[in-house]
Amino acid sequence: MSSEPIERRVSYIGDRLNGSRCGICGKEYFRPRDYCGTCGRKSFGKMEDIDLFYEKGELEVCTMVKEPTNKFTKLGAYVYGIVSFHNGKVRVPGRLTDRLLADTPIDPSSFEGREVVPRFRRRYAVEQSDIIPTISLAFTLADEYYPHQEHYTVKPRKEYETPGIVGYGVYTSRFRIKEGTIERSVPFIDEDSITAAVEAGKLALIHSGVDPLLVAKVYVGSESNPYAVKPIASKVAQVLKLGEEDKAEGVQTVDAVDTEFACKAATCMFKDAAALVYYPTVRNHYTMVIGTDNSQAAPRDELGGELDFFVGYGGSAFIFGMNDVIAEIEGWCSCTSDTPDFWRRDQEPHPRHGGRFTGEPAYFKHVSKAAAKLMDKLRLQPSDVNYFVSHQPNLAFPVKVATELGFKEDQFMPGLQVAKFGNTYSGSSPIGLAAILDIAKPNDRIVMVSYGSGAGSDAYSLIVTNQIVEKRDRQKFTIHRQVENRNLEYIDYDTYRRLKQGM
Amino acid sequence: MQRQCPAIIGMGRTKFGEHYEKEPEKLIEEAWLKASLSAGIERKNLDAAYIADYFLQLTNKIGIEEGFLSELTELHVPMERTRSFSSALLNACNGIQAGRYDVVLVGGVEKMTDRWDKIRDDLMLLEDPWSYYAGCTPEANHELMLREYIKKYGIQGEQLETLNVALAQIAVKNHRQALKNEYAQYQRPITLEKVLNERQKAHKPLGLYDFAPVSDGATVMILASPETAKKHSDNRVCVAGSASATDYVTFPAREDRTGCLASSIAMKNALKMADLMVNDIQTIELYDQSTLLEMVSLEDLGFAKRGMAWQFINDSRKDYQGFYRINGKELYVNTDGGLKADGNPLGATGGAQIFEIVTQLRGKAGERQVKTDKDLRYGCVLELEGFGTKAYVHILRRSDYE
Repeated sequence: MSSEPIERRVSYIGDRLNGSRCGICGKEYFRPRDYCGTCGRKSFGKMEDIDLFYEKGELEVCTMVKEPTNKFTKLGAYVYGIVSFHNGKVRVPGRLTDRLLADTPIDPSSFEGREVVPRFRRRYAVEQSDIIPTISLAFTLADEYYPHQEHYTVKPRKEYETPGIVGYGVYTSRFRIKEGTIERSVPFIDEDSITAAVEAGKLALIHSGVDPLLVAKVYVGSESNPYAVKPIASKVAQVLKLGEEDKAEGVQTVDAVDTEFACKAATCMFKDAAALVYYPTVRNHYTMVIGTDNSQAAPRDELGGELDFFVGYGGSAFIFGMNDVIAEIEGWCSCTSDTPDFWRRDQEPHPRHGGRFTGEPAYFKHVSKAAAKLMDKLRLQPSDVNYFVSHQPNLAFPVKVATELGFKEDQFMPGLQVAKFGNTYSGSSPIGLAAILDIAKPNDRIVMVSYGSGAGSDAYSLIVTNQIVEKRDRQKFTIHRQVENRNLEYIDYDTYRRLKQGM
Repeated sequence: MQRQCPAIIGMGRTKFGEHYEKEPEKLIEEAWLKASLSAGIERKNLDAAYIADYFLQLTNKIGIEEGFLSELTELHVPMERTRSFSSALLNACNGIQAGRYDVVLVGGVEKMTDRWDKIRDDLMLLEDPWSYYAGCTPEANHELMLREYIKKYGIQGEQLETLNVALAQIAVKNHRQALKNEYAQYQRPITLEKVLNERQKAHKPLGLYDFAPVSDGATVMILASPETAKKHSDNRVCVAGSASATDYVTFPAREDRTGCLASSIAMKNALKMADLMVNDIQTIELYDQSTLLEMVSLEDLGFAKRGMAWQFINDSRKDYQGFYRINGKELYVNTDGGLKADGNPLGATGGAQIFEIVTQLRGKAGERQVKTDKDLRYGCVLELEGFGTKAYVHILRRSDYE
């Protein structure tokens, strides 16, 4: 059984890797301290806060752990060692994550001396009913899949008339399963929808240059929150330090909420997030919308197992504001009906779905309706639109709906990412949108239509601004890098099921 | 100035290993009976008791050890619980030297095999929680220390192979010594190949035979003031030096990670107290929780120069005669088989170490008796808690050399 106060304190320090620096002698400590052991009493009140969350470390020495202690056995073998930061001023213990180690010898010196990035992950396995412990003492090598990126805030230059997207980030894991023409991202065993949400949010902050202190609200849409009751958004707000922080209490002045509407849980909040920053007293602030899912599916031989051919893993985060906008929201339209094409009852581990009904009347009716109504409202023809992206449960549906709406391949192919990541549920159409934003030019018009079972669609029209070009340099972890990467690891079906199950 | 030192007037121990049928109380009772018999004292002679254990709370749901001991002895004297045996002994020495007590029981007991499937998790209580959270194991820090050592001294190629063989030799040597120790957990010889094969099979720098086992066992000493000791025994061994030191529990946060700073400090202070030089020590029991710790302790305590201990161990390999030859001087190390082969029931371990040195100093070690040119006068015991977080050094002297 885990203890609530201990979990709170450990994750409060460990998720962010908080520490202190002596303002007198510069000595650094992992974990906050009120005074420096060297300088003693005179350092009271002179200790500065540091954290290692966005820093780059060096794996100094390591060894392979083959027989972990009981809570770590699901990780299998892993590399464990000592990571130093700031040229050896502070050292922490660490585990290399995102590695499936075969039963072959490792040469520690092939890892030692290499740069590593802290990663926010599950700490170890606990009972199903317990609080999920997390920590950022998991690391990946900086020269592999996930790069180290500095985080700095940029002073906004321009206020726009219309609210829009000011930055975004997409996180998918290093593991893939490839079956036929479809590749799908698979979480490592210590990942879940919470860790992907934090990763995506972190990447969006890096890209936007927005001061996290100015984020007024975070929405997290997911249908695979490992908790039935307890928001993912509170974890995101705490780890990313969104809003003003009350350091004495460790409380953030920010609103945070989880939303659920199957695969449109995140996109339905885009307009709310945009509307909030349009409110007079919130105009200098920002809002963040995250769509995250470790998309669930029953094993193939069970009811609902058809989904197991398509589910992916990943998160996307979009920051909305009035300043330094990269894509203005030109308009939106949502539609809803009570169509039960896909559902998961409370305490059921896997969703069910309505077979052929998921296409017609569910997916096609709602996507077409929302798209057509929006274009009608804005008096748009397909030729006025540069890119079209819709929810992507498979390859056939988005292609069919785009074609029926009159869009051509060069309009819808750039956003079609399902063959690379699988259906990332709440992250699906947002990842498509991110792929387009990665390549779009100023003044391009993008129409995005999400779909959530149950059922409904949100259609948005976005106009790209010229700020998109300069902000691009701030994000190395693009969709392209996550697709074309020599460090991707392809795994077999059994490994996929095991990793997806988590620890 | 030589002070009058407390003396060990009696001692007893159980065999180490798995004691499936015996609860901890039975083990300590067995050790106590032997100790009281050898000291020729009765329970009523005891002024105080110090009892050491790490995990009885977890393994046997015993939270107030003193109460169990009181019930067992039907005594109501002051009793205190410590973790390591050496800590109990140090406290008992302090009590006697302060003039508070005359005869003190010092005991240690552990029952690790009762929690076989969870004991490695329990052992993580001896490391810092953050290392545990990051995935540390009871063995991992030993291997990291070895990596630090190899890197610091730039050991590679043929030298690295020699170092690895030297470490394996420590396990071979300790098993060989334990053959002559009736109380030892493992009384079977192992070969160098076996140690190396286990490492290779596991693809690990240190393998199964590099680490001390999990054990049950108990040890008891009767400590007495110099005046009282004289009445009880002629063949006394006194505690000439007794010191401890501490270090950060977080291994990655320590300044030097190629040895244990606390060991060096404790040794310096114990030698000072005993008014001896490191070269006066003729036989020593080191805390070989791993073969690596036996090696680096030789450096920590000042017997070998930093970065050199493995060479001396390797040199003794070919014609091993029971000792390491370091800088031309013979040093007997872990003559009872060390933690590796004698066993490592944490709370009782230090008692077995001291038991061995006392036995040697009394010349009663039988087949494994060390044979020095000069008379055997001084022995030394190093015990660690939590991978060097605490270090205890005791220097023992035959009382006829006072």
